[in-house]
Amino acid sequence: MKKIIYSAAVVMVLIMSSSCKKWLDTQPRDGITRQGFWKTKEDIQAAVAGCYASLLAPPPGVNERSLIENIFVFGEIRADMIDPGPGALNDETDIFNVNITQSNSLSRWNAFYRTINFCNTVIDNAPSVREIDPTLSVEQLNAYLSEVLTLRSLMYFYLVKSYRDVPLKLTATTKDTDLQDLPKTSAAAILTQIVNDLKKAEAGAVTTFGNTVTDKGRVTKFTVNSVLADVYLWMDNYEGCIQECNKVINSQRFALQSAASSWYFNVFFNGSSIETVFEFNNKSSVSSPLFNALGRSPKRFLASSYLGSDVFIPDDVDPTRFYDIREEAFYRGSDLAVVKWGTDAVTFINWQVYRISDLMLMKAEALAETSRGAEALALIEEIRLKRGAVVATSQTVDPGDKDAISDYILAERAREFAFEGKRWYDLLRIAKRDNYKRLDLLLNIVAQTVNPALQQSAITKFRDVNSHYFPIHEAELFADPQLVQNPFYTK
Amino acid sequence: MTKKYTYSIFILLCCLLLSSIASAQQINYVKGKVIDKKDRQPIIGASVTIVDKDRRVMKGVSTDIDGNYSLPVNDKTYRIMVSYIGYKSTAPLAIDKAVINFQLESADNQMEEVQIVSRAKTDNGSGMSIDKRDQTSAVGTINAKELEDMQAASIDQALQGRLAGLDIAASSGDPGAPMQIRIRGTSSINGAVDPLIVVDGMPYDITIPSDFNFATSDENNYGQLLNIAPSDIKDISVLKDAAATAVWGSRAANGVLVINTKRGVLGPPNMSYNFKGSYSKQPSAIPMLTGNQYSSLILEEFYNAGRQFATSDFAKQFQYDRNDPYNYYNYSNNTNWLESITRIGYLQDHNLSISGGGEKAKYRASVNYFNQNGTTVGTSLGRLSARVNLDYTVSTKIRFSADIAYTHIDNKNLYPSGSRDANVRDVAYTKMPNQAVYEYDEYGNITSNYFSPATTAQGGFVYDFANSRVLGTYNPLAMALAASNQQLGERIIPKFSLQYQIIPDKLRLNANFQADINNTKVKKFLPQVATGRPFSEAAVNYAGDSDGDSFTMATNITLAYTPTLGKNHDLIAFARFDSNDSRRTGQGMFATNTASSFLADPSIDGRTNQTGSAYSSFSQSRSVGLLVSAQYKFMDRYIVNGGVRGDGNSKFGPNNRYGLFPSASVLWRISGEPFMKNTTKYIDNLALRASYGVVGNAPRNDYSYFNTYQNYGFSYLGSSGVYPSNIELSDLRWEKVTQSNVGLTVVLLKNSLNMDIDVYRKRTTDLFYNGIAIPTYNGYSGVDMNVGTMDNQGWEFSLFYTPLKSKKLRIDVNFNISHNVNMIREISPLVPRENNARITTNNAFKVYLQENNPFGSFYGFKFKGVYADKNSTIALDENGNQIVGPNGQQIFMRFAYPSIDYVFQPGDAMYEDINHDGNIDYKDIVYLGNGNPNLTGGFGTAITFNGNLRLGANFTYRTGYQIINGTKINTTSMYGFNNQSTAVLRRWRAEGDITDIPRATYATGYNFLGSDRYVEDGSYLRLRSITLKYDFSKNLLRRIGVRGLSANIMMENILTFTKYTGQDPEVPVKLSTFSTVVDNSTTPPIKTITLGLTANF
Repeated sequence: MKKIIYSAAVVMVLIMSSSCKKWLDTQPRDGITRQGFWKTKEDIQAAVAGCYASLLAPPPGVNERSLIENIFVFGEIRADMIDPGPGALNDETDIFNVNITQSNSLSRWNAFYRTINFCNTVIDNAPSVREIDPTLSVEQLNAYLSEVLTLRSLMYFYLVKSYRDVPLKLTATTKDTDLQDLPKTSAAAILTQIVNDLKKAEAGAVTTFGNTVTDKGRVTKFTVNSVLADVYLWMDNYEGCIQECNKVINSQRFALQSAASSWYFNVFFNGSSIETVFEFNNKSSVSSPLFNALGRSPKRFLASSYLGSDVFIPDDVDPTRFYDIREEAFYRGSDLAVVKWGTDAVTFINWQVYRISDLMLMKAEALAETSRGAEALALIEEIRLKRGAVVATSQTVDPGDKDAISDYILAERAREFAFEGKRWYDLLRIAKRDNYKRLDLLLNIVAQTVNPALQQSAITKFRDVNSHYFPIHEAELFADPQLVQNPFYTK
Repeated sequence: MTKKYTYSIFILLCCLLLSSIASAQQINYVKGKVIDKKDRQPIIGASVTIVDKDRRVMKGVSTDIDGNYSLPVNDKTYRIMVSYIGYKSTAPLAIDKAVINFQLESADNQMEEVQIVSRAKTDNGSGMSIDKRDQTSAVGTINAKELEDMQAASIDQALQGRLAGLDIAASSGDPGAPMQIRIRGTSSINGAVDPLIVVDGMPYDITIPSDFNFATSDENNYGQLLNIAPSDIKDISVLKDAAATAVWGSRAANGVLVINTKRGVLGPPNMSYNFKGSYSKQPSAIPMLTGNQYSSLILEEFYNAGRQFATSDFAKQFQYDRNDPYNYYNYSNNTNWLESITRIGYLQDHNLSISGGGEKAKYRASVNYFNQNGTTVGTSLGRLSARVNLDYTVSTKIRFSADIAYTHIDNKNLYPSGSRDANVRDVAYTKMPNQAVYEYDEYGNITSNYFSPATTAQGGFVYDFANSRVLGTYNPLAMALAASNQQLGERIIPKFSLQYQIIPDKLRLNANFQADINNTKVKKFLPQVATGRPFSEAAVNYAGDSDGDSFTMATNITLAYTPTLGKNHDLIAFARFDSNDSRRTGQGMFATNTASSFLADPSIDGRTNQTGSAYSSFSQSRSVGLLVSAQYKFMDRYIVNGGVRGDGNSKFGPNNRYGLFPSASVLWRISGEPFMKNTTKYIDNLALRASYGVVGNAPRNDYSYFNTYQNYGFSYLGSSGVYPSNIELSDLRWEKVTQSNVGLTVVLLKNSLNMDIDVYRKRTTDLFYNGIAIPTYNGYSGVDMNVGTMDNQGWEFSLFYTPLKSKKLRIDVNFNISHNVNMIREISPLVPRENNARITTNNAFKVYLQENNPFGSFYGFKFKGVYADKNSTIALDENGNQIVGPNGQQIFMRFAYPSIDYVFQPGDAMYEDINHDGNIDYKDIVYLGNGNPNLTGGFGTAITFNGNLRLGANFTYRTGYQIINGTKINTTSMYGFNNQSTAVLRRWRAEGDITDIPRATYATGYNFLGSDRYVEDGSYLRLRSITLKYDFSKNLLRRIGVRGLSANIMMENILTFTKYTGQDPEVPVKLSTFSTVVDNSTTPPIKTITLGLTANF
């Protein structure tokens, strides 16, 4: 009997003591834990590729609009080149009608900050890999860091342009115990941070990855210069802008293609053309991120009906021989469908971020502001020539008239970058210059886009410059009591 | 660990065997003769066995033709015994001489009348069985007798309304659709909410783990897992308070349902056959508009909305233009879509079992075949299950049992079957009735093709890949018949257990091991003919095939100690160790654009391959628990029970992995006190119970304490991307459910009246909240946290009464009632305090979260009818005077000035202007109701005539709650192209019309804002079932050679008494912070008639 009791006791003790602790430590097999990651340079490469991938689509399981759609919506629908289609959502119609509230779901900034967090994760963890992986050279590490720093800067730049003051988070979020509330940082401070980061990135970035497609799809030194030029222009630092533009233009790596019939096919459909400085490479990855907005019937967005009469004016002499190559490549006059990004659910068209024409027009804008109007007009003419721009859209401008040149540039940008998520920012940048001297630019678009019944109130709203920026979505204000709403939306 | 455990058991077994086969001694023989005591004739074939002191059989032999036997004897401690069928077995005799003769006594010798007082033991499933009258905690039980009369297809259906505190609601009437089971409310918002099911002492999973990714549907579809044939069940208990559930630890936070299956009993083989067949019919649905009525409504909607109908693409579908023959024939019908997808449902259920056994071995084996055709075309459920329960008594000390259960399931569901899908019945309801079911050609000949246009005025079919759900509209019949969604399941549960009396009647060891192998396969196919979409879309010919395999090993060892401490003291001490290891793997793939509507397998390459077209997942969770508890009884009057359970769970990080959860309960049997002596005539038992206990609840997800890096589904420029997919939850702690319970048990009038009253409070602290919003500048939008405290409090009363009990007539009555209130006591400020419904949009109700207020209250406008004419829209102040503008102009009622600033027109819905400012906005919303029932329960009666005719009726009820009649909103909104109910025929049409249905306006206006127009009292009383059962008389049976035969007929859902005007007031209450009870059901519960037949051989 004693033996039995004894053996039973042994069993119990065995069970109790046999390291329950270890037994309860289960490790996930789908995915790698942070502790198991960040061991080799290939890990860094995969994480950097993850940052790029986040530009195309949200991660699996996250059901939100893609970053590209966000950029498109932020940059286009407040401006005048897009009209609501029959399938437009209420929140979208509200934005068209300048009736934005803090509950408008389109004002969510999730997609931008998600990419920022991925970049922060690389910035925080990559340097320690050098201690483990001796094959990782300093140059290579810096090249990786430059890429993510540039992406992060680009994201913050979009946020500043859209919201003005936003929280600045420069470290990765990993643990629930690390979460803390941040206040907003002023736009000026964020822009300074962006400029510093980009300067750092410029030093580490490569000039080429060895093949054209990668050079266009990943951040090179020229991408850094392009972003910096854009940032300087936003900050009204014209000299800086010209300097950065020149770095790209004078590199002799980029050029405008001729106005042959294959222009759209090379630059957009195929992508990675000699015109492109930086694009989100979508090839065979994610089928058309904009299909839901632009392709699927009923369409949410259509090209504005006034484009045919005001922007892409047909040649009044011989419209079949002389026409702007951009017009039919970008939208379909018959039903006003935007075709630039493809019409089929399964199309892979790269999202263009910077092309050489952008740098040329940015430079022209900066030149005009620094009283070198003649040079600016020459740049505009160069582009117009290559694009087959018709006489009807040319303007005769006095090289000394800054505002007239700005208007010309704006008109040319509308043609060149139609539906690329740039229009609103172009308008706002020029409108806000010199203490909103050109506010009329924004007031004028109201007639094109806003429901006639609401035009007066829209104009009143646009006179308050705070209204040019999105509200912080109410969910963010709720989650972080330190955030202060843009005063326009608290009225 | 498991290995170690198996070894240890083995060692233990060896020790035990060695100790008993100790000293062998000299060989000896015993012989003799066995004769009948009465007629002194030899008995041929009687079994004579030599047993050891524990009655373990050492040697056995049968007597020969003269009744003689002879056997070797190896040990002088051995004894000899004889048994034979039809005779009483002898007691073991010591072998003190070489010749021992036996005289056997026939077993059918009648004894003098003996009164046996047996007391039911209740079992909390753990093996620690305690007299029911000594139970200190709240437990409800349904026994075999009552179960016999339940002819429902599944247990959960049978249990509806039977036990106090147990709330069961059907999720849909389709075959295989799961029931929602809640015991004493919902104690967690985001943690597990289903009760633990324990079958024969081992946990039994009824939910598909959330990490199974069946790619295209949500987990609700796979709830058909409690698939034990009801005829195999012996009894069911519901453990309610923490003292009762404490044994089961962390998984028992939502209560425990203990099911014991039938086992073999001593006796000759008993074969039993049970048949059930049922006929069910969909009751008539809400009458909808015909095609012609519908077309004129649509034209009116457009006219009122100020839209030009003629310019629309879809105008031709309403023009009835004979010059456009194709559209004319296909869009000029009066189709009743609902009728086209509805049929009569049938069910058959066959159960065959055999049971019996002798002294040593007992067995019960059963096989069950179940087949059901649902009332919607394309739905069916087939189930084949088998169960073998074996018990073998090795000796009085060692007993083991082996059980094996096997189930095969073949469940055909409709393709859109998720809760967020546009499901077939709903689409059929609102489908435009002028559209044809089958396509007409342009000469007006009907073809055999489904008429599935890519889009109609109503829109088209949309498959939302991001959320895996079906949206939009389609041809419902084509969808039901051509698309497929089949679930195949195989489940095998072998179980082994060993019982060993270490010290006979004092110290008992019980060890159980169970494996649960559960494989599920889901095959889905969405052909082009069902949706009509063009081939360029990914949802066309979309084939999916996924597998989910789970393997669970559970063990437990219990050690029960029951010392004899004299007459006045009873003690049971109890220790138990549990371990559970569950592994789940899932694989699946899908392909889109397969070449034809008949190539339904995803292994055939499609035209396009979507991201993630093949996937797999693996997860594993483990838990351990150690329980120590004891029950002490003094003088049969004072009982104290206490215990502590330690739990460890792999779902937590190392810092929060273990939890210690105490429980205690007491019982004072007042009726046993000397001062109650005079009352013993009519009070059999009067006991006061009190209990307190804490149970921990683990989160649903594994590995959340890791920061995991996942692969992006695609590569960027050839290098695959990796991203951090979650926030590491190093701070996640156990959710604790603390339950206090006070109860009174009264048994009166010679045990004929049983009453239980319980009052409880179930407090959940460290409440889990999934995805609590964090600022998204962190890169994530939500994080799981322990955020607050929630209470479920209420009371329950149950009564069983047998007012009349004679040979001729017996009447049984049962009644139960319960009340539960659910409220938040304290919650993190990060939890939103109101739902995101915008009150200025149609069909939105406001819900607020307020501390110390019950859940489920909703707010909205007050509906006052319809503006009959222009004059009635003039704004009035509180004195009834017209409000005038600053320039003296007339002011009309406005909506949401200044943001929307809509001026009400004649024919619009009129809402009460609470603050009389001439503006209907958020300041005018008021409390409309609460969706949580105040009282729920059931009652029933059973009347038995002559002991063989039994009539039973069961009622269920809920009172004191409000339902939002979603069906009414959807069928009278007149806002789009959806078909509407015939109620809209009395809509406002011309100035001066007095009616309660506003005018039709296409996509404009505010005619169906969340208002009390749709809020109704949901109280109901339902005659859930009525049963008539007849046992054929013994005389008849003897003639046809059958031991028992009974027939029964049951009718379900016959009558419902309610003021509710919707289809069915029984709406599952899905508790989340902002849930409102919305009834979108389009048909009342199915009426079913079941015929049953049971025969014993």
